[in-house]
Amino acid sequence: MSLLVTFVIIVVVMTAILGINSYLILLERKTAAWIQDRVGPNRVGFDLGLPFLKRLTGGFHFWGLGQPIADGLKFLFKEQVVPAHVDKVLYFVAPCVAVITALLSFAVVPFGPTPTSANPDVFPFVIAPNIDIGIVFVFAVSSLAVYAIILGGWASNNKYSMIGALRSSAQIISYEIPLGLSILVVAMMTGSLNLEKIVARQAEDGFFGWNIWFQPLAWLIFFTAALAETNRLPFDLPECEQELVGGFHTEYSAIKFVMFFLGEYTHMITVSYLTAILFFGGWHFPFIAEGDSTYPGATAVKILVLAGKAALFIFFIMVLRWSLPRFRYDQLMRLAWIVLIPLGLLNLVFAMFVRHWELSRWWLLPISVVLFVAAGLIGTLVSTQEKRVIGHAHQA
Amino acid sequence: MPTLLAYCLLFTVVGVGFILVHLLIGKIVRPAKPEPEKLAVYECGEPTIGTSWVQFDLRFYVIALLFVIFEVEVAFFFPWAVVFGKLNALGDAGLDEASRQQVVQALVPPHVEGAAQSAAEMADVAVTLGWIALADILVFFGVLLVGYAYLWRRGDLNWVRSVEEEVKTWRQVGAEPPPELLKPPAVEVAQGA
Repeated sequence: MSLLVTFVIIVVVMTAILGINSYLILLERKTAAWIQDRVGPNRVGFDLGLPFLKRLTGGFHFWGLGQPIADGLKFLFKEQVVPAHVDKVLYFVAPCVAVITALLSFAVVPFGPTPTSANPDVFPFVIAPNIDIGIVFVFAVSSLAVYAIILGGWASNNKYSMIGALRSSAQIISYEIPLGLSILVVAMMTGSLNLEKIVARQAEDGFFGWNIWFQPLAWLIFFTAALAETNRLPFDLPECEQELVGGFHTEYSAIKFVMFFLGEYTHMITVSYLTAILFFGGWHFPFIAEGDSTYPGATAVKILVLAGKAALFIFFIMVLRWSLPRFRYDQLMRLAWIVLIPLGLLNLVFAMFVRHWELSRWWLLPISVVLFVAAGLIGTLVSTQEKRVIGHAHQA
Repeated sequence: MPTLLAYCLLFTVVGVGFILVHLLIGKIVRPAKPEPEKLAVYECGEPTIGTSWVQFDLRFYVIALLFVIFEVEVAFFFPWAVVFGKLNALGDAGLDEASRQQVVQALVPPHVEGAAQSAAEMADVAVTLGWIALADILVFFGVLLVGYAYLWRRGDLNWVRSVEEEVKTWRQVGAEPPPELLKPPAVEVAQGA
Protein backbone atom coordinates (compact mmCIF):
# COMPACT_ATOMS: atom_id res chain seq x y z
CA MET A 1 0.00 0.00 0.00
CA SER A 2 2.59 2.53 1.06
CA LEU A 3 4.82 1.37 -1.80
CA LEU A 4 2.02 2.32 -4.16
CA VAL A 5 1.62 5.70 -2.47
CA THR A 6 5.36 6.31 -2.82
CA PHE A 7 5.20 5.36 -6.48
CA VAL A 8 2.35 7.79 -7.10
CA ILE A 9 4.18 10.57 -5.27
CA ILE A 10 7.36 9.95 -7.26
CA VAL A 11 5.52 10.06 -10.57
CA VAL A 12 3.50 13.15 -9.64
CA VAL A 13 6.54 15.02 -8.32
CA MET A 14 8.70 14.10 -11.30
CA THR A 15 6.07 15.14 -13.79
CA ALA A 16 5.41 18.34 -11.88
CA ILE A 17 9.11 19.18 -11.76
CA LEU A 18 9.53 18.58 -15.47
CA GLY A 19 6.47 20.69 -16.30
CA ILE A 20 7.60 23.45 -13.98
CA ASN A 21 11.09 23.27 -15.50
CA SER A 22 9.84 23.91 -19.01
CA TYR A 23 7.75 26.84 -17.83
CA LEU A 24 10.68 28.16 -15.80
CA ILE A 25 12.58 28.49 -19.05
CA LEU A 26 9.72 30.58 -20.42
CA LEU A 27 9.68 32.61 -17.20
CA GLU A 28 13.41 33.13 -17.50
CA ARG A 29 13.07 34.43 -21.06
CA LYS A 30 10.18 36.68 -20.06
CA THR A 31 12.18 38.01 -17.10
CA ALA A 32 15.13 38.70 -19.37
CA ALA A 33 12.87 40.52 -21.81
CA TRP A 34 11.28 42.52 -19.00
CA ILE A 35 14.66 43.58 -17.61
CA GLN A 36 16.06 44.44 -21.04
CA ASP A 37 12.89 46.28 -22.08
CA ARG A 38 11.91 43.79 -24.78
CA VAL A 39 8.68 41.88 -25.32
CA GLY A 40 9.98 38.32 -25.04
CA PRO A 41 8.40 35.18 -26.50
CA ASN A 42 4.72 35.96 -27.13
CA ARG A 43 3.93 34.32 -30.48
CA VAL A 44 3.47 30.60 -29.86
CA GLY A 45 0.04 29.86 -28.45
CA PHE A 46 -1.46 26.46 -27.85
CA ASP A 47 -1.94 26.00 -31.61
CA LEU A 48 1.85 25.52 -31.86
CA GLY A 49 1.72 27.10 -35.31
CA LEU A 50 -0.25 24.20 -36.79
CA PRO A 51 -3.00 25.32 -39.20
CA PHE A 52 -5.74 22.94 -38.02
CA LEU A 53 -5.18 23.85 -34.37
CA LYS A 54 -5.13 27.52 -35.27
CA ARG A 55 -8.76 27.29 -36.39
CA LEU A 56 -9.70 25.84 -32.98
CA THR A 57 -8.00 28.53 -30.92
CA GLY A 58 -9.01 31.32 -33.29
CA GLY A 59 -5.38 32.45 -33.72
CA PHE A 60 -5.10 33.71 -30.12
CA HIS A 61 -1.50 33.68 -28.87
CA PHE A 62 -2.04 33.06 -25.13
CA TRP A 63 0.92 35.36 -24.32
CA GLY A 64 3.42 32.78 -25.57
CA LEU A 65 2.36 30.09 -23.14
CA GLY A 66 2.68 27.43 -25.83
CA GLN A 67 6.40 28.07 -26.19
CA PRO A 68 7.61 25.38 -23.74
CA ILE A 69 5.47 22.71 -25.43
CA ALA A 70 6.77 23.69 -28.85
CA ASP A 71 10.34 23.68 -27.51
CA GLY A 72 9.90 20.24 -26.01
CA LEU A 73 8.51 18.82 -29.24
CA LYS A 74 11.30 20.45 -31.20
CA PHE A 75 13.94 18.83 -29.01
CA LEU A 76 12.32 15.43 -29.56
CA PHE A 77 12.11 15.77 -33.34
CA LYS A 78 15.51 17.35 -33.95
CA GLU A 79 18.30 15.19 -35.25
CA GLN A 80 20.75 14.13 -32.57
CA VAL A 81 24.31 14.54 -33.75
CA VAL A 82 26.67 12.20 -31.93
CA PRO A 83 30.09 13.37 -33.14
CA ALA A 84 32.48 10.75 -34.46
CA HIS A 85 35.28 11.55 -32.06
CA VAL A 86 33.54 11.16 -28.70
CA ASP A 87 33.89 8.46 -26.07
CA LYS A 88 30.52 6.82 -26.79
CA VAL A 89 29.75 5.27 -23.39
CA LEU A 90 30.63 8.25 -21.22
CA TYR A 91 28.98 10.59 -23.71
CA PHE A 92 25.75 8.69 -23.10
CA VAL A 93 26.17 8.35 -19.33
CA ALA A 94 26.86 12.02 -18.56
CA PRO A 95 23.40 13.55 -19.26
CA CYS A 96 21.74 10.62 -17.47
CA VAL A 97 23.83 11.29 -14.37
CA ALA A 98 22.94 14.98 -14.59
CA VAL A 99 19.21 14.44 -14.56
CA ILE A 100 19.22 11.49 -12.10
CA THR A 101 21.25 13.26 -9.42
CA ALA A 102 19.14 16.38 -9.75
CA LEU A 103 15.87 14.48 -9.35
CA LEU A 104 17.21 12.16 -6.64
CA SER A 105 18.28 15.00 -4.38
CA PHE A 106 14.65 16.15 -4.29
CA ALA A 107 13.65 12.82 -2.68
CA VAL A 108 14.11 14.01 0.92
CA VAL A 109 12.99 17.60 0.42
CA PRO A 110 9.51 18.11 1.91
CA PHE A 111 7.26 20.12 -0.40
CA GLY A 112 4.36 20.42 2.01
CA PRO A 113 3.46 19.77 5.66
CA THR A 114 4.85 16.61 7.24
CA PRO A 115 3.87 14.88 10.51
CA THR A 116 5.10 16.64 13.66
CA SER A 117 4.66 15.92 17.33
CA ALA A 118 1.79 18.43 17.43
CA ASN A 119 0.12 17.07 14.28
CA PRO A 120 1.13 13.42 14.02
CA ASP A 121 -1.39 12.24 11.42
CA VAL A 122 -0.69 14.66 8.60
CA PHE A 123 0.01 13.07 5.24
CA PRO A 124 3.77 13.35 4.65
CA PHE A 125 4.36 15.50 1.57
CA VAL A 126 7.83 14.20 0.83
CA ILE A 127 8.97 11.32 -1.36
CA ALA A 128 11.09 9.58 1.28
CA PRO A 129 9.64 10.54 4.67
CA ASN A 130 11.58 10.69 7.92
CA ILE A 131 15.12 10.33 6.63
CA ASP A 132 17.37 11.25 9.54
CA ILE A 133 20.37 12.17 7.42
CA GLY A 134 18.13 14.42 5.27
CA ILE A 135 20.30 17.38 4.42
CA VAL A 136 23.47 15.30 4.17
CA PHE A 137 21.72 13.15 1.59
CA VAL A 138 20.87 16.20 -0.52
CA PHE A 139 24.40 17.44 -0.09
CA ALA A 140 25.95 14.10 -1.10
CA VAL A 141 23.73 13.38 -4.08
CA SER A 142 23.82 16.86 -5.54
CA SER A 143 27.59 16.88 -5.40
CA LEU A 144 27.56 13.80 -7.62
CA ALA A 145 26.36 16.20 -10.34
CA VAL A 146 29.98 17.17 -10.82
CA TYR A 147 30.51 13.75 -12.41
CA ALA A 148 27.94 14.56 -15.09
CA ILE A 149 29.80 17.71 -16.01
CA ILE A 150 33.32 16.32 -15.99
CA LEU A 151 32.29 13.13 -17.83
CA GLY A 152 30.32 15.08 -20.42
CA GLY A 153 33.14 17.54 -20.96
CA TRP A 154 35.81 14.90 -21.16
CA ALA A 155 33.86 12.46 -23.35
CA SER A 156 33.07 15.19 -25.89
CA ASN A 157 36.74 15.42 -26.88
CA ASN A 158 36.25 19.09 -27.62
CA LYS A 159 38.49 21.82 -26.25
CA TYR A 160 35.62 24.09 -25.24
CA SER A 161 33.92 21.23 -23.42
CA MET A 162 37.11 20.21 -21.68
CA ILE A 163 37.87 23.71 -20.42
CA GLY A 164 34.27 24.19 -19.34
CA ALA A 165 34.22 20.88 -17.50
CA LEU A 166 37.48 21.56 -15.66
CA ARG A 167 36.40 25.02 -14.61
CA SER A 168 33.06 23.74 -13.52
CA SER A 169 34.39 20.88 -11.43
CA ALA A 170 36.91 23.12 -9.66
CA GLN A 171 34.15 25.65 -9.02
CA ILE A 172 31.63 23.13 -7.73
CA ILE A 173 34.02 21.40 -5.36
CA SER A 174 35.32 24.72 -4.04
CA TYR A 175 31.85 26.02 -3.23
CA GLU A 176 30.78 22.77 -1.65
CA ILE A 177 32.79 23.58 1.48
CA PRO A 178 31.13 26.92 2.34
CA LEU A 179 27.80 25.27 1.51
CA GLY A 180 28.50 22.54 4.05
CA LEU A 181 29.68 25.03 6.68
CA SER A 182 26.52 27.10 6.39
CA ILE A 183 24.30 24.03 6.66
CA LEU A 184 26.25 22.87 9.72
CA VAL A 185 25.20 25.94 11.68
CA VAL A 186 21.53 25.24 10.94
CA ALA A 187 21.98 21.57 11.89
CA MET A 188 23.63 22.61 15.14
CA MET A 189 20.86 25.04 16.07
CA THR A 190 18.17 22.46 15.39
CA GLY A 191 20.04 19.43 16.67
CA SER A 192 18.93 17.41 13.69
CA LEU A 193 19.75 16.89 10.02
CA ASN A 194 16.20 15.86 9.21
CA LEU A 195 14.62 18.53 6.99
CA GLU A 196 11.15 17.82 8.37
CA LYS A 197 12.39 18.40 11.92
CA ILE A 198 14.15 21.58 10.87
CA VAL A 199 10.86 22.95 9.53
CA ALA A 200 8.89 21.71 12.54
CA ARG A 201 11.28 23.44 14.91
CA GLN A 202 10.92 26.76 13.11
CA ALA A 203 7.13 26.39 12.91
CA GLU A 204 6.95 25.77 16.66
CA ASP A 205 8.80 28.99 17.43
CA GLY A 206 6.65 31.07 15.09
CA PHE A 207 7.68 33.87 12.76
CA PHE A 208 10.60 34.97 14.94
CA GLY A 209 11.83 31.38 15.09
CA TRP A 210 12.80 31.31 11.42
CA ASN A 211 16.49 30.59 11.13
CA ILE A 212 17.04 33.69 9.00
CA TRP A 213 16.73 35.83 12.15
CA PHE A 214 19.65 34.08 13.80
CA GLN A 215 21.69 33.15 10.77
CA PRO A 216 21.53 35.83 8.06
CA LEU A 217 25.21 35.26 7.36
CA ALA A 218 24.78 31.51 6.96
CA TRP A 219 21.91 32.24 4.56
CA LEU A 220 24.10 34.54 2.48
CA ILE A 221 26.90 31.97 2.34
CA PHE A 222 24.44 29.18 1.54
CA PHE A 223 22.73 31.10 -1.23
CA THR A 224 25.99 32.27 -2.82
CA ALA A 225 27.49 28.79 -2.73
CA ALA A 226 24.27 27.27 -4.03
CA LEU A 227 24.26 29.67 -6.98
CA ALA A 228 27.78 28.52 -7.80
CA GLU A 229 26.75 24.88 -7.41
CA THR A 230 23.93 25.29 -9.90
CA ASN A 231 26.25 27.07 -12.36
CA ARG A 232 23.99 30.10 -12.49
CA LEU A 233 25.18 33.59 -13.23
CA PRO A 234 27.22 35.31 -11.82
CA PHE A 235 28.98 31.95 -11.49
CA ASP A 236 28.26 30.50 -14.94
CA LEU A 237 31.89 30.18 -16.03
CA PRO A 238 31.50 26.54 -17.11
CA GLU A 239 29.24 27.63 -19.95
CA CYS A 240 30.01 31.26 -20.60
CA GLU A 241 28.86 31.69 -24.18
CA GLN A 242 31.30 34.42 -25.09
CA GLU A 243 34.37 32.29 -24.40
CA LEU A 244 33.38 28.66 -24.51
CA VAL A 245 30.41 28.42 -26.94
CA GLY A 246 28.33 26.11 -24.73
CA GLY A 247 30.95 24.93 -22.26
CA PHE A 248 30.69 21.29 -21.26
CA HIS A 249 27.59 20.68 -23.40
CA THR A 250 28.94 22.14 -26.65
CA GLU A 251 28.78 18.78 -28.44
CA TYR A 252 25.38 17.75 -27.08
CA SER A 253 22.20 18.11 -29.07
CA ALA A 254 18.51 17.16 -29.01
CA ILE A 255 17.25 15.19 -26.00
CA LYS A 256 20.66 14.82 -24.33
CA PHE A 257 21.08 18.57 -24.31
CA VAL A 258 17.64 18.87 -22.73
CA MET A 259 18.68 16.46 -20.00
CA PHE A 260 21.56 18.72 -18.97
CA PHE A 261 19.14 21.62 -18.94
CA LEU A 262 16.60 19.71 -16.87
CA GLY A 263 19.36 18.88 -14.41
CA GLU A 264 20.29 22.53 -14.03
CA TYR A 265 16.74 23.79 -13.59
CA THR A 266 15.81 20.96 -11.19
CA HIS A 267 18.84 21.90 -9.16
CA MET A 268 17.57 25.45 -9.08
CA ILE A 269 14.18 24.28 -7.77
CA THR A 270 15.83 22.12 -5.10
CA VAL A 271 18.05 24.98 -3.97
CA SER A 272 15.09 27.33 -3.71
CA TYR A 273 13.09 24.81 -1.69
CA LEU A 274 16.08 24.20 0.57
CA THR A 275 16.55 27.92 1.15
CA ALA A 276 12.90 28.23 2.13
CA ILE A 277 13.12 25.16 4.38
CA LEU A 278 16.43 25.81 6.10
CA PHE A 279 16.16 29.54 6.67
CA PHE A 280 12.65 30.79 5.97
CA GLY A 281 10.44 28.51 8.02
CA GLY A 282 9.38 26.04 5.32
CA TRP A 283 5.59 25.93 5.09
CA HIS A 284 5.18 28.15 8.15
CA PHE A 285 3.67 31.58 7.70
CA PRO A 286 2.22 33.75 10.46
CA PHE A 287 -1.57 33.51 10.91
CA ILE A 288 -2.42 31.54 7.76
CA ALA A 289 -0.10 28.52 8.08
CA GLU A 290 0.84 27.97 11.72
CA GLY A 291 1.97 24.64 13.11
CA ASP A 292 -1.43 24.04 14.74
CA SER A 293 -3.73 25.47 12.08
CA THR A 294 -6.16 22.72 11.09
CA TYR A 295 -8.91 24.61 9.26
CA PRO A 296 -10.15 22.93 6.06
CA GLY A 297 -7.68 23.53 3.27
CA ALA A 298 -4.80 24.26 5.65
CA THR A 299 -2.70 21.58 3.98
CA ALA A 300 -3.15 23.13 0.56
CA VAL A 301 -2.31 26.56 1.98
CA LYS A 302 0.89 25.18 3.51
CA ILE A 303 1.95 23.57 0.25
CA LEU A 304 1.23 26.84 -1.57
CA VAL A 305 3.14 28.90 1.03
CA LEU A 306 6.23 26.73 0.63
CA ALA A 307 5.92 26.76 -3.17
CA GLY A 308 5.45 30.52 -3.09
CA LYS A 309 8.60 31.02 -1.03
CA ALA A 310 10.53 28.75 -3.38
CA ALA A 311 9.12 30.61 -6.40
CA LEU A 312 10.33 33.90 -4.93
CA PHE A 313 13.86 32.54 -4.66
CA ILE A 314 13.74 31.15 -8.19
CA PHE A 315 12.65 34.56 -9.43
CA PHE A 316 15.42 36.18 -7.40
CA ILE A 317 17.99 33.87 -9.01
CA MET A 318 16.66 34.81 -12.45
CA VAL A 319 16.76 38.53 -11.75
CA LEU A 320 20.32 38.11 -10.45
CA ARG A 321 21.27 36.50 -13.74
CA TRP A 322 20.29 39.61 -15.68
CA SER A 323 21.66 42.08 -13.14
CA LEU A 324 25.17 40.95 -12.30
CA PRO A 325 28.18 40.54 -14.57
CA ARG A 326 30.10 37.28 -14.61
CA PHE A 327 33.02 36.73 -12.23
CA ARG A 328 36.55 36.33 -13.46
CA TYR A 329 37.94 32.91 -12.60
CA ASP A 330 40.52 34.06 -10.08
CA GLN A 331 37.88 36.22 -8.36
CA LEU A 332 35.59 33.21 -8.22
CA MET A 333 38.22 31.04 -6.56
CA ARG A 334 39.20 33.78 -4.17
CA LEU A 335 35.59 34.33 -3.12
CA ALA A 336 35.29 30.67 -2.22
CA TRP A 337 38.61 30.04 -0.52
CA ILE A 338 39.57 33.36 1.01
CA VAL A 339 36.18 34.90 1.80
CA LEU A 340 33.44 32.33 2.22
CA ILE A 341 35.35 29.55 3.98
CA PRO A 342 36.88 31.71 6.75
CA LEU A 343 33.54 33.47 7.21
CA GLY A 344 31.74 30.15 7.43
CA LEU A 345 34.25 28.80 9.96
CA LEU A 346 34.05 31.90 12.15
CA ASN A 347 30.28 31.81 12.04
CA LEU A 348 30.36 28.16 13.08
CA VAL A 349 32.71 28.87 15.99
CA PHE A 350 30.50 31.68 17.30
CA ALA A 351 27.38 29.55 16.94
CA MET A 352 29.22 26.84 18.87
CA PHE A 353 30.00 29.21 21.75
CA VAL A 354 26.43 30.48 21.87
CA ARG A 355 25.18 26.92 22.00
CA HIS A 356 27.71 25.77 24.59
CA TRP A 357 27.01 28.52 27.09
CA GLU A 358 23.31 28.34 26.27
CA LEU A 359 23.08 32.04 25.51
CA SER A 360 20.02 33.46 23.80
CA ARG A 361 19.88 32.67 20.09
CA TRP A 362 19.46 36.37 19.42
CA TRP A 363 23.18 36.87 20.11
CA LEU A 364 23.80 35.33 16.71
CA LEU A 365 22.08 38.18 14.83
CA PRO A 366 24.54 40.93 15.86
CA ILE A 367 27.44 38.46 15.49
CA SER A 368 26.38 37.72 11.91
CA VAL A 369 26.05 41.40 11.06
CA VAL A 370 29.43 42.27 12.60
CA LEU A 371 31.15 39.41 10.76
CA PHE A 372 29.56 40.47 7.47
CA VAL A 373 30.49 44.14 7.86
CA ALA A 374 34.05 43.26 8.94
CA ALA A 375 34.49 40.97 5.94
CA GLY A 376 33.20 43.70 3.65
CA LEU A 377 35.56 46.31 5.10
CA ILE A 378 38.62 44.04 4.94
CA GLY A 379 37.72 43.01 1.39
CA THR A 380 37.39 46.63 0.27
CA LEU A 381 40.69 47.62 1.88
CA VAL A 382 42.57 44.72 0.30
CA SER A 383 41.13 45.25 -3.15
CA THR A 384 41.84 49.01 -3.04
CA GLN A 385 45.45 48.27 -2.23
CA GLU A 386 45.62 45.77 -5.05
CA LYS A 387 44.12 48.23 -7.50
CA ARG A 388 46.89 50.64 -6.56
CA VAL A 389 49.50 47.99 -7.34
CA ILE A 390 47.88 47.01 -10.63
CA GLY A 391 47.38 50.64 -11.62
CA HIS A 392 51.10 51.29 -11.17
CA ALA A 393 51.91 48.24 -13.28
CA HIS A 394 49.84 49.69 -16.13
CA GLN A 395 51.48 53.09 -15.92
CA ALA A 396 54.97 51.65 -15.92
CA MET B 1 14.43 -4.67 5.76
CA PRO B 2 12.70 -6.18 2.70
CA THR B 3 10.43 -3.12 2.47
CA LEU B 4 13.48 -0.87 2.46
CA LEU B 5 14.89 -2.93 -0.39
CA ALA B 6 11.59 -2.63 -2.21
CA TYR B 7 11.73 1.16 -1.87
CA CYS B 8 15.26 1.21 -3.22
CA LEU B 9 14.23 -0.94 -6.16
CA LEU B 10 11.23 1.28 -6.79
CA PHE B 11 13.44 4.36 -6.89
CA THR B 12 15.91 2.71 -9.24
CA VAL B 13 13.28 1.32 -11.59
CA VAL B 14 11.38 4.60 -11.86
CA GLY B 15 14.60 6.56 -12.37
CA VAL B 16 16.06 4.32 -15.04
CA GLY B 17 12.68 3.88 -16.72
CA PHE B 18 12.16 7.62 -16.80
CA ILE B 19 15.49 8.21 -18.55
CA LEU B 20 15.09 5.33 -20.98
CA VAL B 21 11.55 6.32 -22.01
CA HIS B 22 12.69 9.80 -22.93
CA LEU B 23 15.72 8.58 -24.84
CA LEU B 24 13.66 5.91 -26.60
CA ILE B 25 10.89 8.28 -27.73
CA GLY B 26 13.54 10.60 -29.08
CA LYS B 27 15.26 7.77 -30.88
CA ILE B 28 12.04 6.65 -32.57
CA VAL B 29 10.78 9.98 -33.84
CA ARG B 30 13.90 11.87 -34.83
CA PRO B 31 15.75 11.69 -38.13
CA ALA B 32 19.37 10.49 -38.36
CA LYS B 33 21.39 11.70 -41.32
CA PRO B 34 25.04 11.71 -40.29
CA GLU B 35 27.59 13.45 -42.51
CA PRO B 36 31.35 13.78 -42.02
CA GLU B 37 31.10 17.56 -41.57
CA LYS B 38 28.33 17.22 -39.03
CA LEU B 39 30.31 14.71 -37.02
CA ALA B 40 33.45 16.80 -36.87
CA VAL B 41 34.64 18.56 -33.71
CA TYR B 42 32.88 21.88 -33.24
CA GLU B 43 35.46 24.59 -32.99
CA CYS B 44 33.67 27.50 -34.60
CA GLY B 45 34.63 26.40 -38.13
CA GLU B 46 38.36 26.17 -37.52
CA PRO B 47 40.02 22.88 -38.41
CA THR B 48 40.87 21.00 -35.22
CA ILE B 49 44.48 20.61 -34.18
CA GLY B 50 45.11 17.57 -32.03
CA THR B 51 42.89 15.89 -29.49
CA SER B 52 41.62 17.63 -26.39
CA TRP B 53 42.55 14.71 -24.16
CA VAL B 54 45.73 16.37 -22.99
CA GLN B 55 47.34 17.29 -19.70
CA PHE B 56 45.47 20.04 -17.92
CA ASP B 57 46.56 22.82 -15.64
CA LEU B 58 47.99 21.63 -12.34
CA ARG B 59 46.03 24.23 -10.41
CA PHE B 60 42.83 22.26 -10.88
CA TYR B 61 44.57 19.32 -9.26
CA VAL B 62 45.66 21.41 -6.28
CA ILE B 63 42.08 22.60 -5.80
CA ALA B 64 40.89 18.99 -5.86
CA LEU B 65 43.42 18.07 -3.16
CA LEU B 66 42.35 20.98 -0.96
CA PHE B 67 38.75 19.97 -1.46
CA VAL B 68 39.38 16.45 -0.23
CA ILE B 69 40.87 17.74 3.03
CA PHE B 70 38.21 20.32 3.78
CA GLU B 71 35.29 18.20 2.67
CA VAL B 72 36.32 15.38 4.99
CA GLU B 73 36.51 17.93 7.76
CA VAL B 74 32.98 19.18 7.04
CA ALA B 75 31.80 15.57 6.98
CA PHE B 76 33.33 15.08 10.44
CA PHE B 77 31.49 18.11 11.72
CA PHE B 78 28.03 16.88 10.72
CA PRO B 79 27.53 14.19 13.42
CA TRP B 80 29.11 16.47 15.99
CA ALA B 81 26.79 19.37 15.11
CA VAL B 82 23.71 17.21 15.66
CA VAL B 83 24.55 16.23 19.25
CA PHE B 84 26.47 19.33 20.28
CA GLY B 85 24.91 21.27 23.15
CA LYS B 86 22.71 18.40 24.29
CA LEU B 87 25.14 17.50 27.06
CA ASN B 88 24.70 20.94 28.55
CA ALA B 89 20.96 20.45 28.62
CA LEU B 90 21.65 17.26 30.54
CA GLY B 91 23.95 19.13 32.89
CA ASP B 92 20.99 21.12 34.16
CA ALA B 93 20.10 19.17 37.35
CA GLY B 94 16.63 20.71 37.51
CA LEU B 95 15.60 19.16 34.20
CA ASP B 96 12.28 17.31 34.37
CA GLU B 97 12.37 13.56 33.87
CA ALA B 98 10.57 13.39 30.51
CA SER B 99 12.84 15.80 28.67
CA ARG B 100 15.86 14.22 30.39
CA GLN B 101 14.90 10.83 28.96
CA GLN B 102 14.44 12.44 25.56
CA VAL B 103 17.96 13.90 25.56
CA VAL B 104 19.44 10.64 26.84
CA GLN B 105 17.72 8.75 24.06
CA ALA B 106 19.10 11.16 21.47
CA LEU B 107 22.63 10.83 22.85
CA VAL B 108 22.97 7.21 23.90
CA PRO B 109 22.43 4.35 21.45
CA PRO B 110 19.75 1.92 22.76
CA HIS B 111 22.10 -1.03 23.28
CA VAL B 112 24.48 0.87 25.59
CA GLU B 113 23.94 0.18 29.30
CA GLY B 114 24.48 2.51 32.20
CA ALA B 115 22.16 5.27 31.03
CA ALA B 116 19.91 4.74 34.04
CA GLN B 117 21.76 6.96 36.50
CA SER B 118 20.12 9.48 38.77
CA ALA B 119 19.63 13.00 37.45
CA ALA B 120 22.18 14.58 39.80
CA GLU B 121 24.90 12.04 39.01
CA MET B 122 24.28 12.46 35.32
CA ALA B 123 24.37 16.24 35.51
CA ASP B 124 27.92 16.20 36.91
CA VAL B 125 29.22 13.81 34.28
CA ALA B 126 27.42 15.69 31.52
CA VAL B 127 28.97 19.05 32.41
CA THR B 128 32.47 17.54 32.42
CA LEU B 129 31.84 15.74 29.15
CA GLY B 130 30.44 18.91 27.59
CA TRP B 131 33.65 20.78 28.38
CA ILE B 132 35.79 17.93 27.04
CA ALA B 133 33.75 17.93 23.83
CA LEU B 134 34.22 21.67 23.42
CA ALA B 135 37.97 21.40 24.01
CA ASP B 136 38.21 18.49 21.58
CA ILE B 137 36.48 20.29 18.77
CA LEU B 138 38.50 23.44 19.39
CA VAL B 139 41.72 21.44 19.05
CA PHE B 140 40.37 19.97 15.80
CA PHE B 141 39.55 23.49 14.62
CA GLY B 142 43.01 24.66 15.61
CA VAL B 143 44.77 21.94 13.62
CA LEU B 144 42.60 22.75 10.65
CA LEU B 145 43.23 26.47 10.86
CA VAL B 146 46.99 25.91 11.01
CA GLY B 147 46.70 23.94 7.80
CA TYR B 148 44.57 26.64 6.25
CA ALA B 149 47.01 29.36 7.22
CA TYR B 150 49.85 27.33 5.74
CA LEU B 151 47.98 27.00 2.42
CA TRP B 152 47.22 30.69 2.34
CA ARG B 153 50.81 31.61 3.11
CA ARG B 154 52.15 29.22 0.47
CA GLY B 155 49.88 30.89 -2.08
CA ASP B 156 47.90 27.78 -2.94
CA LEU B 157 44.68 29.72 -2.54
CA ASN B 158 45.70 32.30 -5.17
CA TRP B 159 44.58 31.42 -8.66
CA VAL B 160 46.88 33.83 -10.45
CA ARG B 161 50.53 33.76 -9.44
CA SER B 162 52.83 35.87 -11.52
CA VAL B 163 55.47 36.34 -8.89
CA GLU B 164 57.99 38.27 -10.95
CA GLU B 165 55.52 40.94 -12.02
CA GLU B 166 54.19 41.26 -8.52
CA VAL B 167 57.61 41.85 -6.98
CA LYS B 168 58.35 44.50 -9.60
CA THR B 169 55.15 46.42 -8.97
CA TRP B 170 55.49 46.24 -5.19
CA ARG B 171 58.90 47.91 -5.56
CA GLN B 172 57.54 50.54 -7.97
CA VAL B 173 54.91 51.54 -5.45
CA GLY B 174 57.76 51.98 -3.01
CA ALA B 175 56.82 49.16 -0.67
CA GLU B 176 58.81 46.10 0.29
CA PRO B 177 57.16 42.99 -1.27
CA PRO B 178 55.92 40.28 1.10
CA PRO B 179 58.72 37.81 1.88
CA GLU B 180 57.06 34.78 0.27
CA LEU B 181 57.42 36.45 -3.13
CA LEU B 182 61.16 36.81 -2.71
CA LYS B 183 61.87 33.14 -2.21
CA PRO B 184 64.29 31.74 -4.79
CA PRO B 185 62.61 30.00 -7.74
CA ALA B 186 62.16 26.26 -7.35
CA VAL B 187 64.24 25.36 -10.41
CA GLU B 188 67.74 26.85 -10.39
CA VAL B 189 70.09 26.89 -13.33
CA ALA B 190 73.14 24.77 -12.68
CA GLN B 191 76.19 26.97 -12.17
CA GLY B 192 79.51 26.52 -13.90
CA ALA B 193 78.63 23.28 -15.62
